[in-house]
Amino acid sequence: MSAVCAALAADPVLAAHYADFRGKTEAALDPALVALVRQAVAAVHGMARAPDEAGLDEGTRLCLAYARRMPFEHTAITDAEAAAVVAHLGEVGFVAFSVLAALADAECRAELVDLPTLAEV
Amino acid sequence: MSTTPRVSSALPGEPPHFGSVLAHQPDIAASFFALYGRFWGSDVLAARIKEVARMRNARVTECGFCRNVRFDKAVAQGLGEEVVDDITDGYETSDRLSDTEKAVLKFTDALIHDPELLNGDAKAALQRHLTPAQIAELGLGVTLFLALAKALITMGLEPEAMDRTVLPTPAVLEAAE
Repeated sequence: MSAVCAALAADPVLAAHYADFRGKTEAALDPALVALVRQAVAAVHGMARAPDEAGLDEGTRLCLAYARRMPFEHTAITDAEAAAVVAHLGEVGFVAFSVLAALADAECRAELVDLPTLAEV
Repeated sequence: MSTTPRVSSALPGEPPHFGSVLAHQPDIAASFFALYGRFWGSDVLAARIKEVARMRNARVTECGFCRNVRFDKAVAQGLGEEVVDDITDGYETSDRLSDTEKAVLKFTDALIHDPELLNGDAKAALQRHLTPAQIAELGLGVTLFLALAKALITMGLEPEAMDRTVLPTPAVLEAAE
């Protein structure tokens, strides 16, 4: 369960909406890519080991390199980097990927401030 | 940071913007707008407080679109431009922001920038000024503001220029409830 969902335990309606948004975002992408992106972003925050990229295809490695820029370098991502991810995932996939990578970063940060404990009744 | 859209609009006749680009993923879009409407429609935490956090996020993430949008509910609750102008570095000394808003800003900075900022005093202040339910709602809001701003920026949807714009506050879609 994400830190945000855990913090919203006392508001099941809002928690369900959030879980649905998170779920719909993840469902739009390959589950293996979702897990790798979340792990890569968590690794940037020092919350996980970096994914083992041995055996991954070039497109997936490009996606992970891009996702790693999201926590601290989102304004420095270039048009060329974005175009490479679009070429791999297509525009439709790139939209879901952008939301996923940004959400993964924000959720790590919510965990780092220990949001569930702060919101504990 | 690019102001050239990296994704086309999925809505015929509309330029690329967050809504028209998100329309490439209708399930995500519908779920997001239902969530965002429910979040802004809830009065557990006042819209003015939510907007203070959103404005801070807009400035720190350098989201020009977010920075120029105001939601009308927060404006009606007294969030004027003279207050927004104080939501910048050094907000701690503002005499226009309330102590609650300063505690909210410290939490926002901790979540979007550096978790170490939420030290013992800052945490105590947050929990003194907000109930647990309000903190949960604030945490959801800052998480969404941050994710949205970064998604918008990285998809190249930053406007080249934009006037300050007051928009209707997102609301619950009746058909979705």
